[in-house]
Amino acid sequence: MRVTNSMVLTSTLRDLNATLSRLQSAQIDLSTGRVVRKASDDPAKAAAAMALHNQIRRSEHRSRELTDAQGWLNVADTALVNGLDLLNRAKELASRAASTGATDAEARTAIAAELGNLREEMIAIANTKYLNRSVFNGTTTGDAYDLAGAYLGNDSQIMRAVAPGTVLRTNITGEEAFGVQASPEGDVFAVIDRLAAAIAAGDQAAMTAEQDNLDAARTRMASATAELGSRGARLDSIRARAAADEVSLRDTLSQIEDTDLAKALMDVKNRENAYNAALGAAARVIPNSLLNYLR
Amino acid sequence: MLSGLYTALSGMNAHRQILDVTSHNVANQATPGYHRQMVDLRAGGLGASGIFAGSKYLPGGVDAVAVRRVLDTLAENRLVRETALDAGAMTLAINLGRLEMAFTEPSNDGMAALLDDFWGGWSDLATVPGDTAMRSQLLERSQSVIDSLRRASADLDAVALGAQQEIHALAADVNEIAARIAQMNGAIAGSPTTPNDLLDQRDALVRELSALTGAVARPGQGGQVEVSIGGRSIVYGANSQRVSGLGGTLTWEADGTAVLAPEGKAAALRTIIADVVPRYRTKLDAVAAALVNTVNGVHTTGYDLGGTTGRNFFDPAGVTAATISLSADVAGQPGNIAAGAPVFPGPTAPGPLDGELARAIALLADAATGPDSAYRSLVADLGVEVRAARQRSEVQGQVTAAAQQVADSVGGVSIDEEMVSMLAAQRGYEASARVLTTVDQLLETLISRTGVVGR
Repeated sequence: MRVTNSMVLTSTLRDLNATLSRLQSAQIDLSTGRVVRKASDDPAKAAAAMALHNQIRRSEHRSRELTDAQGWLNVADTALVNGLDLLNRAKELASRAASTGATDAEARTAIAAELGNLREEMIAIANTKYLNRSVFNGTTTGDAYDLAGAYLGNDSQIMRAVAPGTVLRTNITGEEAFGVQASPEGDVFAVIDRLAAAIAAGDQAAMTAEQDNLDAARTRMASATAELGSRGARLDSIRARAAADEVSLRDTLSQIEDTDLAKALMDVKNRENAYNAALGAAARVIPNSLLNYLR
Repeated sequence: MLSGLYTALSGMNAHRQILDVTSHNVANQATPGYHRQMVDLRAGGLGASGIFAGSKYLPGGVDAVAVRRVLDTLAENRLVRETALDAGAMTLAINLGRLEMAFTEPSNDGMAALLDDFWGGWSDLATVPGDTAMRSQLLERSQSVIDSLRRASADLDAVALGAQQEIHALAADVNEIAARIAQMNGAIAGSPTTPNDLLDQRDALVRELSALTGAVARPGQGGQVEVSIGGRSIVYGANSQRVSGLGGTLTWEADGTAVLAPEGKAAALRTIIADVVPRYRTKLDAVAAALVNTVNGVHTTGYDLGGTTGRNFFDPAGVTAATISLSADVAGQPGNIAAGAPVFPGPTAPGPLDGELARAIALLADAATGPDSAYRSLVADLGVEVRAARQRSEVQGQVTAAAQQVADSVGGVSIDEEMVSMLAAQRGYEASARVLTTVDQLLETLISRTGVVGR
């Protein structure tokens, strides 16, 4: 093939340009730390990266819901544990009144008065709030119980999406924890009320009956606490798994879109050498012609 | 013997002409579209001319018959076609690249991230349905998604508009080049000798016109060319047709019908306007429609803080990326966002702090056919198309460069070659001059030194 000077020049220029552009692309990989910057850089990788970004952000949303659910469950759990203590105390008072206080009206009055205080304390516990919202009143605003012990809430369940495809109930309604007002034996406040009245009146039969009701209320509250506890344990394991998942998602994402520094450095070095070699070759070839040798 | 003088003179003339052409070649070695020229020599050029017309002696000497361009027509035609393909592929790649810039993905601040934030806003609202600040934040995030859809839509418009403006500018170029080709056709036809340089310039213009419109040239009479685009003639002899780029479409000025540019820049721009942009607009609109319809579908069943139901979240009339907006019910009124799901049987209003509906909307983010997946597939499709266009353009660039090399290897100016031909011509001239001197000396001998015996 016949070769002319302009052919040498244009092909040298094109090769230099291509080499420089490869060097630049390696340098951008290195300086941005990312190999997939546009969808067209690598469509398959970009699609995977977008899906992973989406999953990570969704996992962050769920993690916020999870934190909220955990806080909620902890507050409710603590409240019910305190409630159980109060019920134990009430039980103790009731049996004392049944055994020793039967003859002593003054002692009975004192016990009845303490039960009254205990009932108020129980109402305060039932009105426990998390982030300014009552935890035992379903989905209504304000307190769960008024001072008279009437339930103001509803029986709605509150759910949290805590893991992909997993929706967990976070609340216990007042009626589930403290009993249903409309039932024959009434809720725990009514039981304590009647117990106090029976003790004050020295009515042994009523005292025994209310002690049974008290036991039933205690069992109900204990099972509600156990329910909360098991949900809490489930949340803990979900959180641990979610954290592990997120780490592996981020790891995968990093492998897809982040630059392999060692490889990128080698690429830059190699391409720099190639560019230098091309420049050197061009500098040697281009100036040559017969002109240099004619006198 | 005197004829020897003229023979030597013809050699001097021929070699001087070779030197002239060599100097022309060297001067134009970097001129685009220039083809090296060569002097055709023929022996016996003196012919029966000069003062010895009718001589019985055989005529001697050399004649510079013609100066011709050295080129390979097949390679030149191939170069014209590859140049047109190259211009088209490059235009397509550049415009698709512009389109891709409307979607900054994958990233942490593109539309995908804004959509995720939007769903996250619903998820946050589900945890604290009564919180006005959270509701306002959700409205802000919705507005961000709306803004980004509208901006993407405007970016699509801008790409189409840019292509239309390019066509407008291109029409002016086409008209100017066509007129110049026609003018040169006229000059070429009227030229008494072969106008090599005019031919070169005219061929370069044809190549330019072909890069713009995919025009093809057919040789006509007397060195002229007839140029046509998509089968319709634009230059015929010394006449040219005009085209118009008004409104972003290339039309013939004569009758207003569309110019069917088969290749080149015009065809690529047409593809961008008529195919690429509408295709991605449909996809973007589908994202907006999916967002509006899925969210509204759930939202209308829900109850807001005041216990009202049946409100739309997005304006149901705005189901394209350019028209999507919040419904008048919720815009600026965060309390009207429905977070509560109906209670069954009933359906009746839930408690004011119910967030079940907000949670249901947040879970739409995981749906397999929601706006997110529609958007992701849009970006993936665009990525594949941009990459393919860029690779096609690169490959076409190499093919075009190869075609250029083939054409140059025949028609390009080589300095070494010209130097050698310069030396040869110089020596030839010197030798001819020497012959002249020698003949002159012979004549001198004959005239001055003969017939003097015994004087």
